Amino acid sequence: MGSKIPPLTYKVVAECSVSKARAGLMMLRHSEVRTPVFMPVGTQGTLKGVLPDQLIELDCQILLGNTYHLGLRPGIETLQRAGGLHNFMGWPRAILTDSGGFQMVSLLQLAEIDERGVNFRSPFDNSECMLTPEHSMQIQNAIGADIMMQLDDVVKTTTTGPRVEEAMERTIRWVDRCLKAHARDDDQSLFPIVQGGLEIPLRERCVSALMERQVRGFAVGGLSGGESKHDFWRMVHVCTDHLPRDKPRYLMGVGFAADLVVCVALGVDMFDCVFPTRTARFGCALVDSGQLNLKHQKYKHDMEPIDAACGCGTCRRYSRSYLHHIATNESVSCSLLSVHNVAYQLRLMGSMREAIQHDKFPQFVRDFMERHYGSEPIPNWIREALKAVKIELALDSTKGEGAGESSKQLVN
Amino acid sequence: MKFVIKSISKNSGRLGQLRIGKESNELQTPLLMQTTKGGSIPYLSGDVFDSVCKGQQQQQLLQLTLSTMDQMAESLVQWNRSLSEYVGLPGHATVLLLRDPCETTPAGGNDRDVVPLFTRRGKESLTATRYLELVSSFAPDVYQGLCDADTNPDSTKKRVQKSVDRTERFMEQCYERRVENSTLLAPIVGGYNTFARTQSIKHARQQPAGSYGGYILEGFHSNGLAATELKATQLLPIVEHCVQQLEEEQPRLMPGAYTPLLMLELIRQGIDIFDTSYAYCAAVNYKALSFSYKLDEIRPDDEHTPLLDMTAEEYKEQFKPLLSGCTCLACEKHTRAYHHHLYKTHELLGPILLMIHNLHHLMGFFDVIRASIGTDQLPALLEHLRMQNTSTEINYRIEPNNKIVTKAAMGKGFIAPAV
Repeated sequence: MGSKIPPLTYKVVAECSVSKARAGLMMLRHSEVRTPVFMPVGTQGTLKGVLPDQLIELDCQILLGNTYHLGLRPGIETLQRAGGLHNFMGWPRAILTDSGGFQMVSLLQLAEIDERGVNFRSPFDNSECMLTPEHSMQIQNAIGADIMMQLDDVVKTTTTGPRVEEAMERTIRWVDRCLKAHARDDDQSLFPIVQGGLEIPLRERCVSALMERQVRGFAVGGLSGGESKHDFWRMVHVCTDHLPRDKPRYLMGVGFAADLVVCVALGVDMFDCVFPTRTARFGCALVDSGQLNLKHQKYKHDMEPIDAACGCGTCRRYSRSYLHHIATNESVSCSLLSVHNVAYQLRLMGSMREAIQHDKFPQFVRDFMERHYGSEPIPNWIREALKAVKIELALDSTKGEGAGESSKQLVN
Repeated sequence: MKFVIKSISKNSGRLGQLRIGKESNELQTPLLMQTTKGGSIPYLSGDVFDSVCKGQQQQQLLQLTLSTMDQMAESLVQWNRSLSEYVGLPGHATVLLLRDPCETTPAGGNDRDVVPLFTRRGKESLTATRYLELVSSFAPDVYQGLCDADTNPDSTKKRVQKSVDRTERFMEQCYERRVENSTLLAPIVGGYNTFARTQSIKHARQQPAGSYGGYILEGFHSNGLAATELKATQLLPIVEHCVQQLEEEQPRLMPGAYTPLLMLELIRQGIDIFDTSYAYCAAVNYKALSFSYKLDEIRPDDEHTPLLDMTAEEYKEQFKPLLSGCTCLACEKHTRAYHHHLYKTHELLGPILLMIHNLHHLMGFFDVIRASIGTDQLPALLEHLRMQNTSTEINYRIEPNNKIVTKAAMGKGFIAPAV
């Protein structure tokens, strides 16, 4: 039943008349997804400390799972017997999985990549193992996510020279192996990943090669790994310039609020990041002006909610003062702050979508940057990136120029 | 606080109604207080706790403990709404106790003039003056009197006597300086010594009428899993001795993780109020409550165990709920295999789901207890709990989970041999 309908359909429902921002609707087997969308990360089949029902109440439509972790626990056999990850974890809505390659390279010290796949030593018995594109597909088919990622050749974003080009070319070869090995194309959509380091010609070549393949959406990888923001936005910009209008674009590993706003302006539709939930576990709550480190003494007697305008369960019930006392001490604080931070991310995406639909996105961006940076100067890279898509920010007369090339992390 | 006994019987304990504060609903006894940590139901947000309570008496009695909340005192002085609102659980009544029944209270630190408070930051020594100051800052609906309850089945006669003598001294000050708008609970201590218990009760009963609004019986165990280890033959005679001498019209509290079977025995003897620390102690050790509390319940053969140990490998691929027919969120939406996975990965959702299930189960048990007392069927329920339709007496103690997730327990599915 329904096998004639592709497992992913996407349509643009509104476009910003100034920038490249767009609002879209993506229909997946398990859920419709309104884009631009932020996908919270549920690494091991759970978003840490949050019930699936709570995520549904926050209107989260799609979660990310990590293939590397799920392949280890519960493992392919158990996932297959459970009928996939949706059943296993009791999550009725959409899931996206990564390929496992990135985590292997970032988590395992001994990983080496050659044409066959990613070589590594097992963290458990130190035996030599290999993750091939075919094997990544096998695990991701067992997980059964609505969207899955190709295995790509991951190099550090700061790498330069021929290795970058080699990785890009190999990524293209591997997408063909992945497409061939993918056994459930009626239910799951495989996204290729645009690589090419920080070099515009490589990115362009990669995009055009990947566009020759039969795929339903694209990911942009190899960014958000310590490169300068100056390079970061240019790479996103060149990719979205060349990617087809009628397919969703996913920028991997990006989730700071300012980055989200800029990249939506550049035409990205999907994002994921561990930051909102990780920072929650350290007692930090996201607000438009950055984040509140609730452990700070100044919140001890602060009887206001984190954000009076936020309707999440945490803001409806709890004061900053109470959260100050339990943050990082009682495990329930992890749940409470994660709920708020996910609510914050989803609301930010929702407001952007709404602004795009009413063709008020440029004004939204200006207002947001004003709230986000307050009396601090807006970083140059943000000005430049937005200027590239014709959104001009007012010059701050009182603010100093030439500020931060790195993202703003803490507001206390 | 107002307590009214609705019915009382020789074999079946008593049914009562507790009204706390002016606007509160009536709470039915035998009652489960909701154990908290740092003011929150362990692992559960206010919203999730509300969903667990759906279909239950609307108002719950929160058991707050100074040892997990003392750092909030200064903030509470500046808070001008109720204590239950501060902890994100508005509308519920509050009882403030000294010790956290969920964790073992270290021994020692008691002295002539001070009671130790073991907090996350270390030990603080509380004088009566400091204690009453703290209680005033918290402004709970009900609070316990200061006492030395550092006794257990192994305490010497001398130690027990000391606990009674010191408690009397502390209580002189508590009676003298009552905290306004809060009901005081008179502590009854004295370990397992009938003489000492009698002395402790006499001291409370000497007070003028209206000095306190209930009894809290302590000094039987040092909290945490220790309470689950108590033998009925040891505990019941001394509790019976106490109950005979207590004023009938006052509610009787016994905090601690007593097993479901022991709670039933204690209810039969006339104890009115317990807490949910048993549910917590089970959840934190990856156990799901699975005892049957319905007389006519027929269970599959593999479900006669009082607790399911989610760390067991046998659950790895059991795609069925913890308990068939259970209507809690954990059972309606998740499988044993998922619980086992959450244990293996040490994910926070594991204890969250077990806490939801265990609270739901224990609260359901108390609903049945109240109904059974009404129909004078408590002895039958007790027998059902004791044997669970098997031929041997059920042991409800909670085995601590000392297992470490080993490398061997990891799935191998992911790791392909090198080509």
